[in-house]
Amino acid sequence: MAKEKEESVQISRRTTRSSATAYNNNGIESAKPNVSHTPTLDDLVFGQEPISLDDLLSSFPGRRVQILELLRLLGTINSSMPPLFIYGSASTGKTSIVLQIFRRLSRPFVYTSCLSCYSPRILFESILNQLLLHKKNAVNGYSSAKRCEKPSDFVNLLREALTNVIDSLKANLGKTSTTKLKGQVNGRMIYLIFDKFELVREWDKSSSILSFLFGLCDILKMAEVGVIFISNNSLDTYHSNTGYVEPIPVHFPEYTEDDLRQIFMRNQANRKLYSSFLDVVLRPFCRITRRVDELSTAFSMLFKKYCEPLNDLGVVPNEEMKRRLFSHLQPHVAPSLNERFRIASQPSLDCEVNQETRRKGSARKSGASGDLDEIDFHMSTSAKYLLISAFLASRNPATLDASLFDSTGGSDSRKRKRKASEKSIEQKEAAEQELLMKGPGTFSLERLLAIFQCITSVAEDLLGEEEEGNDKLGVELGSNTLMSDVLLQLTSLCNSNFIIKGGSCPLEGSTRYRSTVSEDLSLKVARSVKFPLSKYLYRR
Amino acid sequence: MAPSAAVDDSPFASSPETTENHLQPFFVLHKACSRKAERVSTVPVKTRRRIDLCPSPPSAEKPEVESVTEDDEIGYMNLRTESFEIVWTKIESTIKDVLRNINANVFNEIHQWVCESFSTIRSFGELTFREATQAFPIVSHASSKQLFTGLVLTKNMEFVDDLLTFKELGRHLKSQGCHVANLSSLDFMAKSGIGGCLRSLLRQFLAAPLDAADISILASWYREQGNCDNPVVVIVDDIERCCGSVLSDFILMFSEWSLKVPVILIMGVTTTLDAPRNILPSNVLQCLCPYKFTLGTPTERMDAVIEAVLVKQCSGFSVSHKVALFMRNYFVRQDGTLTSFIRALKIACVQHFSMEPLSFILKGLFLEEDGQGLQEELLPQAIFKHAFDLPSYGRYKIEEQKFESFGHCLSELKRLQSQWSTVVLCLYEAGKGDQIRLLDLLCEALDPATYNCRISDRRTKVEKDPTGSSNDSWHQQYPLSRRDHFICQAIRKVRDLPGAQLYKLLKRWEELTVDIIEIHEKLKELKSLVKVENGRSSKQDMANSFKRHSSRSQLNIVKESKALNEKAATLIECMVGDYMQPVECLPLHEIVCFQNVEKLQLALIGDPRRRIQVDLLESYKILRCSCCSRSGHSLLPSMHDTSILYNLAQEHGDHINLHDWYQSFKSKVLSSRSKGKHKSKQSPLPKKRKDTNEPDKPCEASIQARFCRAATELQITGLIRMPTKRRPDYVQRVAFGL
Repeated sequence: MAKEKEESVQISRRTTRSSATAYNNNGIESAKPNVSHTPTLDDLVFGQEPISLDDLLSSFPGRRVQILELLRLLGTINSSMPPLFIYGSASTGKTSIVLQIFRRLSRPFVYTSCLSCYSPRILFESILNQLLLHKKNAVNGYSSAKRCEKPSDFVNLLREALTNVIDSLKANLGKTSTTKLKGQVNGRMIYLIFDKFELVREWDKSSSILSFLFGLCDILKMAEVGVIFISNNSLDTYHSNTGYVEPIPVHFPEYTEDDLRQIFMRNQANRKLYSSFLDVVLRPFCRITRRVDELSTAFSMLFKKYCEPLNDLGVVPNEEMKRRLFSHLQPHVAPSLNERFRIASQPSLDCEVNQETRRKGSARKSGASGDLDEIDFHMSTSAKYLLISAFLASRNPATLDASLFDSTGGSDSRKRKRKASEKSIEQKEAAEQELLMKGPGTFSLERLLAIFQCITSVAEDLLGEEEEGNDKLGVELGSNTLMSDVLLQLTSLCNSNFIIKGGSCPLEGSTRYRSTVSEDLSLKVARSVKFPLSKYLYRR
Repeated sequence: MAPSAAVDDSPFASSPETTENHLQPFFVLHKACSRKAERVSTVPVKTRRRIDLCPSPPSAEKPEVESVTEDDEIGYMNLRTESFEIVWTKIESTIKDVLRNINANVFNEIHQWVCESFSTIRSFGELTFREATQAFPIVSHASSKQLFTGLVLTKNMEFVDDLLTFKELGRHLKSQGCHVANLSSLDFMAKSGIGGCLRSLLRQFLAAPLDAADISILASWYREQGNCDNPVVVIVDDIERCCGSVLSDFILMFSEWSLKVPVILIMGVTTTLDAPRNILPSNVLQCLCPYKFTLGTPTERMDAVIEAVLVKQCSGFSVSHKVALFMRNYFVRQDGTLTSFIRALKIACVQHFSMEPLSFILKGLFLEEDGQGLQEELLPQAIFKHAFDLPSYGRYKIEEQKFESFGHCLSELKRLQSQWSTVVLCLYEAGKGDQIRLLDLLCEALDPATYNCRISDRRTKVEKDPTGSSNDSWHQQYPLSRRDHFICQAIRKVRDLPGAQLYKLLKRWEELTVDIIEIHEKLKELKSLVKVENGRSSKQDMANSFKRHSSRSQLNIVKESKALNEKAATLIECMVGDYMQPVECLPLHEIVCFQNVEKLQLALIGDPRRRIQVDLLESYKILRCSCCSRSGHSLLPSMHDTSILYNLAQEHGDHINLHDWYQSFKSKVLSSRSKGKHKSKQSPLPKKRKDTNEPDKPCEASIQARFCRAATELQITGLIRMPTKRRPDYVQRVAFGL
C-alpha cells in the first residue's frame, strides 16, 4: 500500500534521523527510552518535518484529485469537519495519503488500525492510551491507562480525555501562535482515524459496535473532533442504520496504467532502461492486478532478470538492445504472471547446488514442484492407500463401487467405458462441467473403509510377492497391520488437509468426508505404492 | 516391578493376571511372567475371571523346588530392573545425540539466515522510540512490509517427531541470543482467534500475566533495554494444522508492525510447499518473503538411529530377525514416525528385561568397559543353570558347564557381534550411493536362515571347487533372488564403482574394520593398489584427452580397474560370509536379544476391535462357565445375550433386518429355555426347581428388553449402527471380518 511513498519517506527518514536530536525532544535513543521519554502533545502529530503541497502531490502520482478533495474537506485550521469515509481497494494509497496529509498539516490525530486492535476493548483502550499520552512499559506492567470494555464507558472516558487534550491544545495555541516550530501541534482540532474499518463488521456479527463508531461524532457532539474512516469497501456494504450523520465518502479509484507507470518510474536510477522494461511488462501485468505492492514485488524480480545481460546498469538502451533484452525476458514473464508465492531457498545452499535449483526452477515453471514421480514427503504405506481410496471415493460415483471392486476388477470397467463413450458428446461435456462445479464428492467413513479394504486386498498380492522372499511372517504381519490403525491415519490425513471432514449428512447424521487431493498428487502416491489407480478411475 | 508386586508371584495370583493381560490389548508394561511361571503353566492353567466353576486347583502343581529360589528371584528382579534402567538410559541418550547431530546443520543454516534477515530489516532504517511505538504504520517501501519466513520442510506427514525438533530449534536460536517464541497449531485455533495466539506469544516473551493481548505491548517491550539488538523469532510448529484465517490475521498484523517489531517467522510444513498456498489467501502470501529449509527425511533419521542403537550397539541390547522385520514393517506401513519406533524399541527392551532372567548380565557385559563386569559370586548355581538350559547353549554343545566356558562364551558373543556390526556398516557404506536403507539391510543381516543357507552353500561349493574361485559365481547363482536382495545389491554396487569412489569406500572400510585385523590388512593392501591405479588412470585420462584413439590402453585400464573392483567385491563377500553371523546364530544370544515378536505386536498394536469380535464370538472361552463351554460353536440360551446377538448377526449381510434378528434371538432364547428345562431334569437339582422355572418363563417384554440392551451394547462397541430414518427397520453392520 505504501510503495508510492518510497521517495518521500526515504528523504524524511534521513532527515528524521539527523534531526531527531536537534529539535524533536522525544527522539531519544531507543536504548534507554522510558527513562527520559516524557510524552507531550507533540506525540499526537505525525512527528516529522511537514512537507509542501507540491511534494505531497508529486509523491502520489494520479492522486491529485483525491488529495485536494481531502484537504478541502479537512478545511482550514480550527474548522470543524463532518465524518469522512475514505474507501478504495487495497494498495491504492489511502492510509499513506491520509498520514502524509496530516504530516503536512501538523494537526494532532489518533490512529487506530482495526486489524491490530482486533477487539472493541483493545480498540477503545488504544485510543484512550494515545489521547492520555500513555505508553505501555515494564513499569506499568504493559497495562492500558484505563480499562474499558463497554461503549458507554468508552464514551465517558473519551469525552473526558478529549476535553483535556483540547484544552491543552487551546493553551498551546495561545503560546505558540507567534512562532510556529516544525513538527509541533497545529490547531485545536483533533482527529480520530479508524483504518481497516471493514474488519469491524466481522467482530461480533452484530452491527452495534459498527453503528456506535459511525455515530461517535453525534454522540460526542464536540466540534473539535473529526472522525475519519478508512475502508476497503464502499459505504453501501455496511448496514447503515439511521440515527447518525452519513459520513462523506471519498473514493480512491484503482490506478490506471499511466498512473502505475508514473509510480514505478519514480526514483529509478536509470529511467530510460526502466521505462523500456515497463514497456514490456506493465501491460500484461495490469490485466491481472493493479495493486502496487503485488506489482512491485513481481517487477523487482523481473527487472533483475531483465538486467542480467547488461554489464553496465547506467547504459541507455537503444532499439537493438531493447529487442535483445526483451527476448531475454520474454520466457520469464508468463510464468511470473501466475506466480503468487515464490519460495527461495537458503542463498548459501543456492551456490552449492546451483544446478539443482535451476532444475527446480524449470520444474516450477511446468507447474509441478519437486520430482515428477516422487512425493517429497514421507507417508506410511497405509496412509498412502487411504489417500488413494479417499480420492477414489471422492471421484467415483458411489453407485459404481460395486462394479469397480468386484472380483473381476478393472476389466469390467473397460467395457462400460466404451458404452459411455457412445453417448453424445454434449452430455459428456455437461457432466464434466457439473463435476468441475461440484468439486470432489463427499463420502461416508464406511465407504472409505470399504474401498480401502478392497484396494489393500488387491495390493496385498503385490506386496505379498515382495514379502514372500523375506519371510512368511512379513506377509502375515502386513495383512494384519495394514488395517488396524486406519482411523488414526485418517485423522492425520485430515490434519494435513488432504481430506476434509465435512458437516454431517442431513439424512443419516454421520460425518461426511471429502478428499481435496489433486489428481497429480494421488497419481504420484499411487505410483509410489505401485497401485494401478488409473484403472479404477471412472472417466466420463 | 516393585518387590511387593513380585512377592505375590505365586501361581494363584499370577494366573488371573495373565488372563488380565489377554483381556487388555493396550497394556504396555506388565509384570514379568518369569520363566518359572511359564514353566508352571506348561499345562495350560484354566484361568477364570468371573465364573469360577471348574475345580482344577493350580496350586497343587506348585513345584517345591522352584519356591526355594523365591528370594533370589526378587533379588534378580531388582537387578534386572536396574540394568533395564541403565541400558535404556544409554539408548535414549544415544538417540537424542544422534537426532541432535542430524539437525545441527540445518539449525546453523537457519540461524545464519535469521541473522541475515535481521540485518536486512535493520538496513531499512533505525527507528526512534517514538516511531517504534506509535500506532500508525511507518510508511516506506513495500518490501519492508514483508516478513521473512523460513518454511521448514519436515518431510513427514505425521508430525509427532518434529515437535521435539522445533523445540530444539527454539532452544538453539535462544542460545544464540534471539528472542524466540514457540507457537503450536493449537494456538491458531478458530475458537480462540487471533487473541489466543497473541496472548501465548506475549506470555512467552514477557513472562508476565497480561490483561489484554495487544501487539503494541510487544512493540514497547521490544524497545526496552537491550531487547532491540536481537531478532524476534516466532516458530509455528505446523501450519497445515493451523486455522487459516487466524494465521493470516496474525501475519497481516505483524506485517503492519513490520519495522517496529522485526519478526522473523519460522513455519513447519509437513507436506509440500503448496501448503501455505492452500491455506493462506494471496494478500497474505504477499506479506511473506519465504525461504525454505529441509530437515532430514524420516528414513535418514531412522537409519542414523538404527546405526547408533542396533548396529553399533551402544548398549548391547539387540533384537531378533523377526522383531526387526516387524519393526520395519510397522515403520514403513503403519506409522512412519521415529517416535513410534522408539516406543517399540522401549517396549521390546522392557519385555526383554522382564522375561529373560539372565538379562541383567547385559549391563555388565557391554556397559562396563573392562569387559569383566561379571562377578562370579553374583551367579549362583540356580541362575547358572538357566544359562545352560538356554536352547542356544545346548545347540552348540558346549560340554563343560563351568563358569569359565560361560564367560568365554559371553566374550565370544560380544566379539562376534561387533564383527557383525562392522560388516553391516561396511555394506551400508557401500550401498549408500544406491539408496539402500540400513533398516532393510539390518533385517536381512539379522536373518539366521539366510546365514545358514549361505554357510551351507559355501561349504558345498568349496567341496565342489576347492580352488577358491567360487566366490565369483556366488552372486551369479542368486542373481536377483529375494533373499540377499539388499546385500547382493550392495555388493554389486561395489563392482560397478568408479576408481575414485572405490578408493574412498576402501578408506572408509579401513576405518570401520580396525578391530578385525585380517580384514584390515587386506584392505590396506587393496587400497594401496587402488591408489596406484587411480594415479595412473587419471594421468592416462589426461593423455587420452589429447590422443583420443588409444583404445587399447583405455581397455587395459578398464580391465585393471574392473579387476580391482572385483577384488573389493570378493573381499566384502568374504566378510559377509565369515564375519556376519546374525545374533540368533550365536550361543547365549537369548541374553542380549529380544525375540518375542508376538508380545511386541500385542503391546504395540493391540487390535482392539478384532479382539472385541473374537471375544464376543467365543465368549465361553473367557467366561469359562460350565454351562456353555462344552457347547462348541452352537448357541446356547445360557450364553450372554450380546454374544448370542452378535453370533446371529454373522448370518446377515451388511444390513440386518431387525425383525428377523429379533425373531431368531427370541427363538434361541426360548429354545434354550426348553433345553434348559431338559437339562435341569438331568441335573441333580431338586424337582421343585422346575416348578419355580415355570412361572418366570420370559414374557415378550423382557425378551424385547434383553434384545434392546444387547443391541445397544453392540452399538456401543462400534459393531453395528442403529437404524436410520431412511431404513427404520434395519441396522447396519459396521465391522466385517476379523
